[in-house]
Amino acid sequence: MQVEYSHIFWSVLGWMIFWGVIGSIWTRRVYLRRDLDTSGAGFVGAMVGASFGPVGLIPLWAKTPTVSRHLQIWPTLASVGLIAAAFAVADPSNNCVSNGAFVASQISNGIIMGIIYGFMALGLTLIFSILGVVSFAHGEFYMIGGMVAYYVTTVWFPGISPLVGILAACGVAFIIGAAFERMFLTPMYSGKIERPSEYGILVTFGLAFTMQYFVQAVVGANPVKAQRYWDFPRLRIPSADSPWLLKTSRGNMQLFDTISISNPRFTAAVAAILVLLLLLYFLRKTWTGKALRAVSLDRDAAAIAGINPNRMNMLAFALGGTIAALAGSLLVQAFSWLPQVGGIPTLRSFVIVVLGGLGSLPGAFFGGIIVGLVEAAGTGCVPDPQRAASYIPAYGMIVLTLTLLLRPTGLFGRRFSGGAQGSFK
Amino acid sequence: MKRQHAPLIGGLALAAFFVAFPFIYTAGDYPFIMHVLITGFFYAILASSWSMLAGYGGQFSFGHMGFTAIGAYTAALFSHYLYISPVATNLCTEFAIGGKYLLILNPVGVTSSTLSQDCLTKAMEIWGGTVQVTPMPVLGGIILGAIMGGVFGLLIGVLVLPLRAAYLALFTLGFSEILRAVISGEIAVTRGQAGLELPKLFPNGITVFGRYFDKTDKLPPYFVMLGLLALSLLSLTWLARSKFGLFVRALREDQDAAAALGVNTTRYKVLIFVITSMIAATAGAVMAYYVGIVTPNNLIILQMSLVVAMAVIGGVENIYAAAIGAIMIEFLLEFLRNSFQIGPFEVNMVTWRLVVFGIVLMLTLRFSRNGIISPIIDYFLRGHVARETVAKREAASNKSDEVSS
Repeated sequence: MQVEYSHIFWSVLGWMIFWGVIGSIWTRRVYLRRDLDTSGAGFVGAMVGASFGPVGLIPLWAKTPTVSRHLQIWPTLASVGLIAAAFAVADPSNNCVSNGAFVASQISNGIIMGIIYGFMALGLTLIFSILGVVSFAHGEFYMIGGMVAYYVTTVWFPGISPLVGILAACGVAFIIGAAFERMFLTPMYSGKIERPSEYGILVTFGLAFTMQYFVQAVVGANPVKAQRYWDFPRLRIPSADSPWLLKTSRGNMQLFDTISISNPRFTAAVAAILVLLLLLYFLRKTWTGKALRAVSLDRDAAAIAGINPNRMNMLAFALGGTIAALAGSLLVQAFSWLPQVGGIPTLRSFVIVVLGGLGSLPGAFFGGIIVGLVEAAGTGCVPDPQRAASYIPAYGMIVLTLTLLLRPTGLFGRRFSGGAQGSFK
Repeated sequence: MKRQHAPLIGGLALAAFFVAFPFIYTAGDYPFIMHVLITGFFYAILASSWSMLAGYGGQFSFGHMGFTAIGAYTAALFSHYLYISPVATNLCTEFAIGGKYLLILNPVGVTSSTLSQDCLTKAMEIWGGTVQVTPMPVLGGIILGAIMGGVFGLLIGVLVLPLRAAYLALFTLGFSEILRAVISGEIAVTRGQAGLELPKLFPNGITVFGRYFDKTDKLPPYFVMLGLLALSLLSLTWLARSKFGLFVRALREDQDAAAALGVNTTRYKVLIFVITSMIAATAGAVMAYYVGIVTPNNLIILQMSLVVAMAVIGGVENIYAAAIGAIMIEFLLEFLRNSFQIGPFEVNMVTWRLVVFGIVLMLTLRFSRNGIISPIIDYFLRGHVARETVAKREAASNKSDEVSS
């Protein structure tokens, strides 16, 4: 399938990249020359350049306003809008442009998946903010969670409550996480290792490798899929005859006659939100949660206040793995499961965490929704479905690359006292 | 013989063994062993250049296989789409160069229908076998692959300048994943998972010392790969011992201190990326010609994990240890494939060997951070230094004892 006027799209994109690069480099220089705060100037320059070209850049260089939130948000939205407009002009017959119902269901799907992605990334960000380790094994916990839930609910005890499967998945992940942290990550804290962050990367990488092939050796490489955990009750609102607002069948829910949400995804998203609220309550209100946050803010001060940072490290790593396993055990009813399914979620969680700002909890959540939307747009709008499917791992990576180049602190980045990787520059 | 000469002698003996091996070994599985050795050399090149980048430079890049793929795909596209013909086809995009024509084939992707053949096949049908077209030289593909590896290394090296540790690892992993997605997605040009076919390393065979080797013979690619390994080890050694290696290690330890002492940090950080990615790309191109096909599966994370694990188990701060570790592990991986039975359970070693491998990787990191082979080399190299130091200290303490008493 060939896009009708693809040259329009690519030339607009080229124009945006050209002025974006010029804007990012020169705006920084202009701000530096006038002795102004340059943080964020490169980002604003890139976005203004990309969206308005020289028309926007010249006033920006002339006036050099202070970098405010508005100045960052509006040009960014304008750039996204410009790309969308160029796409619409270049390919008017595309489903994404001509079919409103398709767009609505893609967006709702993107948000639902984004909530789950964000929930999973939360585990990674929790690990990072407390241990200073970026766990490369995060997706493997997700995979293990799904596998355990599948085996408990479908193979070993068919007909058992899915809650048991989910709890078993969480328990297994918690034990693996805690044991791994005790065995392999403890030497990082005592300063025995010259470069702890690299050690953390490599050793979690080894864990991911071991876990993936261990599961493959035990259960084989055939895809499995769990039963639906529950059925929707049959509902028709407002009435049985005119299904205008909401209509459900056992495995599907239809809103406004256009948006269709499948039961497993809906369940997973609702459960993710509930657990997220629980987690926030745990982190804000309980003693242990407060201790965790205290360690992430200042290790030494927390230790002085009587918190054992080492125990918090163990708890954080195990809890992070548990969150990933929970996401896996909820999604195993939606997707077919293989020992290799961990790879893409690992990368996606990284993308979300970097986009949201390493260590930021709300950032992880918003980043998840953004990545969910980008992936939905990518899979739905790229012409030629086969190509779109091959590019799935790349959409998140493009977001990551842009984030690292334009705004390495992410949306809600903050500085860290604890953790070896707190500084990236 | 002094003890510190042992690694040098051992290394020379190992090199001599690898040179002599194909002539001594005559068992029935000769082609298989040779293939394992060639693959082992390939991984040795990757592991040693990665250990230069990660161990010396402190830049834990997960994009090394990406550069290998760039080399391999550059060579494959070069050999697949460019031909020289004495006659114009009037079908392809073609340029006249001194009486001959450089043909650029149109990409048709994976297709079995005769409707969409590439332009050269159509032209050949019209000519009816009267015209011979010449493919591009293999060496050209390798050189072009190395250059493209360098160009991409420069690009990535500049982009990762401000990034450290986890950010750098993520960015390079992202680069590798985007590359894999592009290669598997652009089926029209790269043929996606079906892979691009290449001519063999010596497409017309080769005659050395009066003996003719067929294009499927393992001996010429064996020596090409061994030679490339030797070349890359020598150049890496030279780099490590020169001022370059010193600066790069200074960068790893403390970038700000190095900059304060006058090291051009930007230049050396980019340069080490360019050099190591050129080595990886060259190895990738040679391996692609040897295997005869390139697929995006070279880029899956397992491959990168293997390189990382080989370098770490060998010893990430010693390029020789990394290379020996790579050859050793490649051998172990190939020979641990045999499944066996314990009672009623059949142990499928094809997967379990990777589990064992992962556990060994973690244990090595945990208990012997310099790897397994590198401490042995260090034992021989530094043993006498330690003893001399101990002797000097003892002498000094004896003297001070005398003074105090």
